[in-house]
Amino acid sequence: MKSLERFGYPVFFVVIAILPFLLDPRWQAVAITFLIFAVVALSQDIILGKAGMFNMGQALFFGMGAYLTAILNAKFGWPMLATIPVAILIPALMGILLAGPIVHLRGDYLLVVTIGFNIVFVQVVQNNLGGVTGGPNGIFGLDAMNLFGIKLASQVSVYYFAFAVLLLTLGIMANLEKSKAGRALHYLREDPLAAESIGINTRVYKIFAFGLGAGIAGLAGTVYATQYAAVSPEAFEFIQSVLFFSIVLVGGSSIPGVLLGVFVMFVLPEIFREFATWRFFIFGFAMILAMVLRPRGIWPATFGKIPKFLIKESNHGA
Amino acid sequence: MDIFLQQLANGLTIGSMFALVALGYTMVYGVMKLINFAHGDMVAASAFVGLTIYTQVMGQATSLVAVIAIFLLSAAVMACVGVILERVAYKPLREAPRLSAVVSALGASLVIQNGIMLIWGPRMKIFPELVPQVYWNFGGVVISLIQVLILAISLVLMVSLYLFIEKTRMGAAIRASSIDQDAAKLMGINVNSVITLIFVIGSSLGAVGGLFIGLYYRGITFNMGWQYGLYAFIAAILGGIGNIPGAMLGGMLLGLFNAFIAGYVSSTWADAYTFILLIVILIVRPTGLLGERVAEKV
Repeated sequence: MKSLERFGYPVFFVVIAILPFLLDPRWQAVAITFLIFAVVALSQDIILGKAGMFNMGQALFFGMGAYLTAILNAKFGWPMLATIPVAILIPALMGILLAGPIVHLRGDYLLVVTIGFNIVFVQVVQNNLGGVTGGPNGIFGLDAMNLFGIKLASQVSVYYFAFAVLLLTLGIMANLEKSKAGRALHYLREDPLAAESIGINTRVYKIFAFGLGAGIAGLAGTVYATQYAAVSPEAFEFIQSVLFFSIVLVGGSSIPGVLLGVFVMFVLPEIFREFATWRFFIFGFAMILAMVLRPRGIWPATFGKIPKFLIKESNHGA
Repeated sequence: MDIFLQQLANGLTIGSMFALVALGYTMVYGVMKLINFAHGDMVAASAFVGLTIYTQVMGQATSLVAVIAIFLLSAAVMACVGVILERVAYKPLREAPRLSAVVSALGASLVIQNGIMLIWGPRMKIFPELVPQVYWNFGGVVISLIQVLILAISLVLMVSLYLFIEKTRMGAAIRASSIDQDAAKLMGINVNSVITLIFVIGSSLGAVGGLFIGLYYRGITFNMGWQYGLYAFIAAILGGIGNIPGAMLGGMLLGLFNAFIAGYVSSTWADAYTFILLIVILIVRPTGLLGERVAEKV
């Protein structure tokens, strides 16, 4: 673990930093989506992995961020940059509002309710509620993002914007793990009852996790809208939430695990695109196999610096 | 009043299909505490299996005996698929964290869905007309023979399942395993065979549901499992997941609700209304309509 932090991360960042110069435009687009999905998956990890809440509606917050950026830019003429705070705050607020009445639900019930939120959201944008979402076609022809004088017109510049957002998210995740809130979430996931009895306000922290995860996903949505200069409902269907859900569990609830998860669940299927019809058939088997062989994810979470001999094997979630 | 009665008839038909499929979810959940996400795709697969049995095995015969044979054979095939599914995807994960089994179930769902596509192709198939198209008109309310059959057969199946679970020794073993697997093992119940039995029953009921979907809607596609599976799953949750009469009640309720929304409000918002109903019921009764309020075990 130590050697990874010393060598693994710098190597990873250097590779990511020079990657666009090694790829053709099609793979550059895949790489940008990889970065965006990594951000969403990390935000999902806060809710699912860190707080242990079965959330299968993360595409809702992702989509909400993307749609807010698109609507404010295309319909109200805001510059893209100015939409960022809104695309973070509204999904975060929405996450808090939606989570409020449901966090006490048992795991599987929560899962269905979050699927429900996602499906309602897609139906709202598809039916063009309020006449601003553009219906099934979505909204296209967004402006290029203007970052204080630098215009993100080329694909490579969008790539670095996405990379910066990923770095920011990684920073938040690293801080979270070392903070009071991060420790609280960890105990909460391990044993909610024990956490409650040592004075952790589980309800507040659960809602906090939802708000934080939703805000980050909203930001990722803005990047997504920047990449395609368009948004459409099918990109935020609940099947997309299933993807983010699986990424965290297949990869494992840790930063390397989630990044690995995005690679396995998103980039590999892109590589095997030639196998078109067989692709997802085999992919499904791979998911079963991954879980059978590594039930806690390829790269499971570790927490703090507890000596190995003190840790008792247990079967807690995620 | 006409719309009301018409939608009542339609709702009961759809509801009984939901209920049949919901039983598969709820029984598996009851014993294994696992959402079997592959169940919806099994239901879809059964419609295709039924289609193939009709064309290849039965030589397109639509006599009463042939139709019964199609139902029995499809149910048998899907029961085998269900048992294999459990052995491959769920059994190795019984001691693993619960979410691992959920991902495994999602993987299995992808396998079955794409398996259907690879075998039968990505295009919509038309399900054969196994039942004669007979309609009765009661003063503006049209009821078809198919609707009557679906409702009657579903009711018979559900009542027999209920009696089986409540009155037989095997049913008692199923109930015991769903209350406490370890205690059930100590009482000499073979939980492994209980789980196999559950998958046999759940998958065959789902298979009947799948054939009904084919008969009623006629068009079947490889990816329709998600849609029906999700609705049936909501039905199971509405009634209180793990609770068998709850699944029947939830299915009927959801079918009626859908039919009345489609008849009186609008069909473009049907999904949204369904989920709003679900969310409201879960906020008011967090364990579903018939679910027991049990404190989570420590």
